[in-house]
Amino acid sequence: MDASRYAELFLTESQEHVSAINHSLLTLERAPGASEPVAALFRGVHTIKGMAATMGYQAVTDLSHEMETLLDNVRKQAVRVDAGVMDVLFKGADALERTIEAETKGRPAADTGALLARMREISAAARPTPAAGATAVGEVPSAVGGVTVRVRLEPDTPLKGVRVFMILQKARTLGTLLATEPAEAVLQSGEFEGDFRLVIDSHAGAGEIEGAIKAAGFVQEAHVLAPAGGIEGPRSSAALRQSGAISPDTAEMRVSGTFPVPDAGTAAEGAVQHKHKNIRIDLRRLDTLMNLIGELVISRGRLQAIAAEVRSPVLDETLALASRLVSDLQDEIMTSRLVPVWQVFDRFPRLVRDAARSTGKDVDFVIEGKEIELDRSMLDEIGEPVVHLLRNAVDHGLEPPDERRAAGKPPVGRLRLAALRDRASVLIRVSDDGRGIDRSRVLAKAKRQGLVEESREELTDDEMYHLVARPGFSTTEQVTDLSGRGVGIDAVATRVRSLGGSLELRSVEGEGTTVTARLPVTLAIVRAVLAKVNDETYAVPMTHVSETMELAAGVHETVKGREVLSLRDDVLPLVHLRDLVKLPRQPDRLSHVIVLEMAERRAGILVDRLLGQQDIVVKQFDGVRDGLPLFSGATILGDGAPALILDVSTLL
Amino acid sequence: MSHTVLICDDAIFMRTMVGDILQQAGFEIVGEAETGIQAVEKYKALKPDLVTMDIVMPDMGGIDAVREITRFDPAAKVLMCSAMGQQALVVEAIQAGAKDFVVKPFQPSRVLEAVQRVLG
Repeated sequence: MDASRYAELFLTESQEHVSAINHSLLTLERAPGASEPVAALFRGVHTIKGMAATMGYQAVTDLSHEMETLLDNVRKQAVRVDAGVMDVLFKGADALERTIEAETKGRPAADTGALLARMREISAAARPTPAAGATAVGEVPSAVGGVTVRVRLEPDTPLKGVRVFMILQKARTLGTLLATEPAEAVLQSGEFEGDFRLVIDSHAGAGEIEGAIKAAGFVQEAHVLAPAGGIEGPRSSAALRQSGAISPDTAEMRVSGTFPVPDAGTAAEGAVQHKHKNIRIDLRRLDTLMNLIGELVISRGRLQAIAAEVRSPVLDETLALASRLVSDLQDEIMTSRLVPVWQVFDRFPRLVRDAARSTGKDVDFVIEGKEIELDRSMLDEIGEPVVHLLRNAVDHGLEPPDERRAAGKPPVGRLRLAALRDRASVLIRVSDDGRGIDRSRVLAKAKRQGLVEESREELTDDEMYHLVARPGFSTTEQVTDLSGRGVGIDAVATRVRSLGGSLELRSVEGEGTTVTARLPVTLAIVRAVLAKVNDETYAVPMTHVSETMELAAGVHETVKGREVLSLRDDVLPLVHLRDLVKLPRQPDRLSHVIVLEMAERRAGILVDRLLGQQDIVVKQFDGVRDGLPLFSGATILGDGAPALILDVSTLL
Repeated sequence: MSHTVLICDDAIFMRTMVGDILQQAGFEIVGEAETGIQAVEKYKALKPDLVTMDIVMPDMGGIDAVREITRFDPAAKVLMCSAMGQQALVVEAIQAGAKDFVVKPFQPSRVLEAVQRVLG
């Protein structure tokens, strides 16, 4: 079978299972006696095993098989869940993730031999050694009036024991089963070569018996032996029972001690998994749809521009309808791209746990707002920065238990990851109740690097944020394997900015640090204010626009040589877009101001003219060579002309 | 007329694969179920000629589902899909009324043979 077709399906589905497995492991770690997480773990590992075996992924199959065995022992309470077992299971989950990744990509899987051996060791210590049953076909116990049937199974019969059970079941429909050789219990355990005999008391003819047995499947040969040699004088069926050749109660099939006692209840109980119904669509399809709708939005803009010139009521009416449909379509497609953040956040508890363990800290990690939705591509992008923030918090923010006690804090540190919806943006917030950023150290280092004047004695929140976010500025001197060196808040800030978002940092010494990333819900289409300067059009994403206003020439003031705008009780710095794009100012004209707001910082930007709001399709670009670092992308307007999108974060 | 099949497995991967095997052999897949409860409900609604049933599923396992289905329709033809190491469960499933079983990893020929035995 062409398995490659299924590889992608296998990958996504098994990754979901690994994520659920990690989730259950964390639950189990908190409540080692609970049966529900064990049942869920067993199910997850079992499903992966079945899929991997089908795909021919040997490493995944072996690993999931050993995990399953171990979990089965846990389920049967033959293995007690302690730190050692948890450790092996966590390592197993990690190894599963890696081997799945490797094998689906056709790479050799890393060696898991040691881990497998450890799992086997634990399982072996738990399992009572199976009773060795006689496997050789010996003399057929003969029976009064019975017919002996020699049966040979096909060489590669799967689950021989079950097949035999089915064969015996068939035989029983024809008469009374008197004996089997080897004993039925041995046959059912599957510990025999493939040949066995049964003795049946039946009125059916040889052909009928052979036919019935063959119909059970995987029977290579069923042959009714001539009764002549079979009968050796009378032997009571009681004697047969005593010899063990026949089970005491033929109606009760579960006789063998080597059979794991089935427990259907555990398999069925405990549905703690995420329930979500959906169909799978290749993300590339959604991307294509998004691009198409983007083009459609551009065409609509063009049509609207034409209609404004043509001034035909019929055209206007039709266009109004069409553009409403385009908007609806756009909404639908955007919505279909939204996924709840838990799809990425769900792997974080495991990560935080590992980070906490390796640094000897106790962390109570809470995730809030799991159901908040973000564009799929945005969510993929934000995962890594969030990981970074979490690691930072565990590594540098939260103190070890004794240090916390000494500071009068509860020994367990709190770490919170929250997603919140705020107008057109989503906030992702990581907060801890750790030691906070040491301002004196930041200040000292900034002085050493010549970033602030020697005379400065304090830093504002803002200044501190800017310092910490500078590439390469890190206050930790040691390198830990968690956060590494040199990659700090600055990397996170850069990534968030490139996504059209902004980052905010608040830190109180001794009380903790909160980092908030404000992100647009989607990357592709944003609502923007369009503004004209000279003949050029610029777009300012609405995410950062708090208001717009007219400004008569010369009403603004100057404070300390800088132009400012008095807005109600606030004084905002004022920036001329004309200055930024190196055009001469036009002093005597009425101009317009767009008030920008980002992370509690505000500024006004002066433009010639406002064109109104519009949905624009963001086309990312790498920046113009030697160009101004002012723009984050470009868009195509209704008239086909390009417009640059202002990167608000560089203005503030 | 082609035989109708209800596929019960909690893994989409497995449903797809079993579905492909059977479809290529001319069967009509009339429904899929992800849990034992769904399997029973869909069996009652669809009355398929054949059911393929995974053993380990959330909510209600395959064995209980077989029990429910055969209680509703003693002539129901259920093929268990099991993995290595599930002997005892397969035996239980057959006692509960399943007609045969296949073992993962699935080979199309094996699946079709088992289906023929069940429908035969």
